[in-house]
Amino acid sequence: MPSQTKPASAPAASQRGKRVNPRKAPPQDTLIVGIGASAGGLEAFKEFFTLMPADSTLAFVLVQHLAPDHQSLLAELIGRTTTMPVVEATHGTRVEPRHVYVIPPNATLTIAGGVLQVCKPAPPREHRLPINTFFTSLAADQGDRAVCVVLAGSGSDGTKGVGAIKDHGGLALAQSGSDHEAMTGMPANAVATGLVDAVLPVADMPARLLAYQKQMHAAHRQKGSDGVRGDVAEHLNTICELLHAEVGHHFGQYKEKTLMRRVQRRMLVVQAETVTDYIDYLRQHPNENELLFREFLIGVTEFFRDPAAFEVLRTIAIPALVADKTSDDVLRVWVPGCATGEEAYSIAILLREAMGSQRGLKVKIFATDIDDKAIDAARAGRYRPPLIGISPERLQRWFSKDRDGYCVSKQIREMCIFSTHSVIKDPPFSRMDLVSCRNLLIYLNNDLQERLVQSFHYALRPGGFLLLGTSERLAKNARLFTELDKKQRLYVCREDAHTHPRDFPNVQHRPDPSAGHARHDSTRQIDDGIDQQVRQVLEPWSPAYVVIDASHDVLRFGGDTGRYLSPSAGAASLNLFQLLDKPLRAGVRAAVLQAFASGQQVIREGLTILLHGHERPLRLIVEPLAQDDDKAGMCVVAFDELEPAPHTAEPATGGKRGSHLARIQALEDELRRTRAQLHTAVDLHETASEELKSANEEYQSVNEELQSANEELETSTEEMQSINEELQTVNAELKNKNEALNRVNSDIRNLLDSTHIATLFLDRDLHIRSYTPAMTGLFHLRDGDKGRPITEISPRINYPELQSDVAHVLHHLTVTERLLRGSGEAPTFLLRMRPYLTIANVVDGVVLTFVDITESQRLNSAHAQMAAIVNSSRDAIFGFSLDERISSWNASAERIFGLVAGDVVGQPLSLLLPLDAPAGAKVFFASHDRPQRLAEFEMTWVRPDGASVPLAMSYSPVRSPDGTLIAGKLIARDITERLRAAQRMELMLAELNHRVKNTLATVQAIAHQTLTSAADLPGFQESFLARLLALSQTHNLLAREAWEGAPLADIINNELAPYRHDGNARASDARVQLHGDELNLHPKHALALSMALHELATNAGKYGSLSVPAGQVTVTWATRTICERPWLHLQWSETGGPTVEPPTRRGFGSRLIGEGVPYELDGKVTLEFPRDGVICTIDVPLDENASR
Amino acid sequence: MNADTNAPCILLAEDEMLVAMMLEDRLIASGYRVVKASRLAKCMELAESAPLDLAILDINLAGEVSFPAAEALRRRGIPFVFSSGYDDNILPEAWRNEKILQKPYDTRQLTAALTALRAN
Repeated sequence: MPSQTKPASAPAASQRGKRVNPRKAPPQDTLIVGIGASAGGLEAFKEFFTLMPADSTLAFVLVQHLAPDHQSLLAELIGRTTTMPVVEATHGTRVEPRHVYVIPPNATLTIAGGVLQVCKPAPPREHRLPINTFFTSLAADQGDRAVCVVLAGSGSDGTKGVGAIKDHGGLALAQSGSDHEAMTGMPANAVATGLVDAVLPVADMPARLLAYQKQMHAAHRQKGSDGVRGDVAEHLNTICELLHAEVGHHFGQYKEKTLMRRVQRRMLVVQAETVTDYIDYLRQHPNENELLFREFLIGVTEFFRDPAAFEVLRTIAIPALVADKTSDDVLRVWVPGCATGEEAYSIAILLREAMGSQRGLKVKIFATDIDDKAIDAARAGRYRPPLIGISPERLQRWFSKDRDGYCVSKQIREMCIFSTHSVIKDPPFSRMDLVSCRNLLIYLNNDLQERLVQSFHYALRPGGFLLLGTSERLAKNARLFTELDKKQRLYVCREDAHTHPRDFPNVQHRPDPSAGHARHDSTRQIDDGIDQQVRQVLEPWSPAYVVIDASHDVLRFGGDTGRYLSPSAGAASLNLFQLLDKPLRAGVRAAVLQAFASGQQVIREGLTILLHGHERPLRLIVEPLAQDDDKAGMCVVAFDELEPAPHTAEPATGGKRGSHLARIQALEDELRRTRAQLHTAVDLHETASEELKSANEEYQSVNEELQSANEELETSTEEMQSINEELQTVNAELKNKNEALNRVNSDIRNLLDSTHIATLFLDRDLHIRSYTPAMTGLFHLRDGDKGRPITEISPRINYPELQSDVAHVLHHLTVTERLLRGSGEAPTFLLRMRPYLTIANVVDGVVLTFVDITESQRLNSAHAQMAAIVNSSRDAIFGFSLDERISSWNASAERIFGLVAGDVVGQPLSLLLPLDAPAGAKVFFASHDRPQRLAEFEMTWVRPDGASVPLAMSYSPVRSPDGTLIAGKLIARDITERLRAAQRMELMLAELNHRVKNTLATVQAIAHQTLTSAADLPGFQESFLARLLALSQTHNLLAREAWEGAPLADIINNELAPYRHDGNARASDARVQLHGDELNLHPKHALALSMALHELATNAGKYGSLSVPAGQVTVTWATRTICERPWLHLQWSETGGPTVEPPTRRGFGSRLIGEGVPYELDGKVTLEFPRDGVICTIDVPLDENASR
Repeated sequence: MNADTNAPCILLAEDEMLVAMMLEDRLIASGYRVVKASRLAKCMELAESAPLDLAILDINLAGEVSFPAAEALRRRGIPFVFSSGYDDNILPEAWRNEKILQKPYDTRQLTAALTALRAN
């Protein structure tokens, strides 16, 4: 019995033929072992070759993922572990046994005719699957002599290669880890195909390969020229029977050679030397039956395999199918041999895409296969990536990611009904719109192929489509179908051709329909009963006829055609001209040809037929049957037998003889009637039987369908059960969640009640959804107010903007805050309004919270005041936390330290310790155990701009009300000014000391000089005191101006005031005249000139013009510039006094004036004594530095 | 007064005219020939070239310090004494060891200082 799992690809099939040719190289007994590993598989390679003996007949080709730009040392490294030569593969190298070939970097390695082909460079990385490439070429080149080994590595390279190797009958091994499970990555992906023969640790592989090699040699010796062991053929029937008994499928009609190869494969795998050994093994190991069965069914299938075929389906068949159907129709598709469902799903996807909006149209895709495991996989609809053939768009649209694979989407899955069904053994489905059976027929022998095609024809409704594999054809059944696409094998079922499935071999189910029955023409025509009767009545009277098609094959026989037929000897044929009585052939042929050519009715008279020795005239009527396209595809050929010339041989004569004759006549009449009745009855029975038969077939098909549906339903039930269990779990979870929600709800209620934060929930229309008790303080809310608009509730607060705020929040979906100040004693609230979001993040109203911030406002303002005080302080005030980090930094701190708060806050306090800080400061900063009380120290801070500033620091601890130390505070005062004042003070003290000493020295000098020139003690006393007084008065003037200087006029006045008439010191009067600008003298000039003026005035008062009432003194002064220096020119002149006698002796006064003043002031003084009055002229520079 | 050309010549640098006059009288009375300077310029001129035996230098001469003159005197090996109303400690390092007459001083202090100078 055939497998319906489509094995191998078409190209692979063509390779099969090639394999039969004896190979020239390498030698027959060499097995080529392709070993694939990812980068990093070196350890596995080394282990493998350490254990691999060097005397085998194996050749090894290592394919590794190598970086293209990397010089590989693989050959050298492996060469150390084996005595076999290890070389890098080069183009054109013939593979020799006991050699190891290593793929070169950046190259594609293939093999052809036993010769390595190296193609550089390798394709881009995303297309680079060197292991697949090599394995595939190895399989094609070496067939069952190819061995592939998939070692550790990541990715799925090698997986397709394993498929190719197995497809050609080779051996596939994969590496297992220490747990005897396939290692993840490449080995696991290869094993997932189900094609790998053995999963082994690397250490066990050499032994396995040697055993395989031995097997192969043994098998080879017994093989015929076609590569198939003769002994297998002998026992194939036994094996098939065993399988039939165990598994229930008979493979007798499979291509023998395919089966034999696959039996050989299993023999190698189980290491059976002879076929009888294998049969024994098969008997002893029931499991092997299953494995052999699967081996027979090996299939390769993928989504949209042969895209061209699907394209034809998409562009031709599907639009026609979809267009034909109304929304309520069911589009039926049958995919026999669906394997793991890829093809069925591909068609489902195509249909779903084509239907588009035509939602109502139901699609049923019956996907069947005899491999129940494959059907289970198809039902699951879960595929491991990569999904070859599926475009990313389709993957995204029709599949969902599921753990490590992809799951067919529900709507596609629901279109497909999977069931186990043998297309050969079981009755076919019926009334199908499309049958897609690709690459199944090629595995069947001709007879079975023919029968299957007929089955498909039966299954299809007229006009339905049949899609076959590209290398399959209809052969003898070509007349049943019209070819639509020759290349892609798309056919449409012909309406006129009728078959029904021959001989469903499942004899247990129903009796074999009798083979002798003529093909019935109207099995499926449901005729009106009367018509049928009429036809029966008329049938004897109507001419016999045949219906033929364009190729002259008979489609129908009608009436008693037997008398015109005389089939030719030889192979049976339906061709009319092979069937007709020879004398008729020529005439009929001419008429038929004419009718087909003209499309017109052709009537031929005058033919005769020899019947029972009588020649009877015959009229031949050939009537073309018009078809849709007005082209005659069929003809009715009717044989109208004309009445012969009247019989004269029946004279009614004689009495007794006459009565006998009458009796005979009557009996014959009766017999004739009876015969006619019998004939009618037989016909009726036949018709009924035909109908029953066709009904039976119909029911069988329906039954099959129902069975499929039933299986599907069972599967669904199981799914439902598991869904039910899942739902129960979900339910339990929901219950838990519900309880949790209740708890959360009550938590929230308690939270809202206990926070005393007034909260109000409003929906989008400002209706109250709920509120907390505290809300009653803000609105006059009562219990029944839920659901009422908030605008109807009178507020206790002043908040007219409520509506506009809600609108704003709902529109912008932002949080709005507003300060609601109560008037007078009323509290102040902070209103925060935010959108109410449901769990699904849908905005459904607003939430308003009112927080009473009266107290907080008060504290805030108090805090702000404190902060302002601190900030406005001229001293730097800053705090630090217990972990010695600066926590606050006021404005003055920024100014004094030259550091902005942002750079300082959060930094360690030690940042502020200057490099050359005094000991006190260092102690303070170093010791974290600060004094309990105020601590003070001084230091000099250098600002970032380089300026240094002396600081007086004072520390005080910050304590919480209970006395715990919580922080520290430092105040830094800029003491630049204080230090400067102290310096100035010191300087002034020194200056004062100096001045006092100088003054004392002057007084000492005055005393000394006065004493020297005094006549007696009273005279000394008078002069001395007067001089001290003059000195003192000038000091007074200087002190008044802070020793910056003294006005010249005041100095003069001080001396002349006693001689004035009035007290006005400034104005001139009768005795004293002063002429000059305001002039301020330096202290040195003031003192020196005042002493000189004192002497002049004293002298004038004693002896000069002021000694008499009429005398006058005129003092004039002016400043002028001589040689760029300012000079004072002062003249003292006396008039109206007694006659002046020049002095005879130079006294202290004249010495001081004439000698001292020029000496001290670096100027010139002339003192003249004309008779009418003393004249003194003083010229001194004014730019001298002031005396210190 | 300065007739006796054999008498030792003393440079009196003092900008206070009264003090200068008094000192001049005293020094003459003590048998010295006196040359006076109230400004640094004059003082320098005398200190560098006048035939001097001794010198009394007021540190402050009309706002200028007399140390340049002291240097000149030291170069010439002429003994001198500073006089000042300031304390000793205002002397720069270079002159720390020099004698200083604290103003005001009397004849005895002056004589003692001059005697000490001449003894060196």
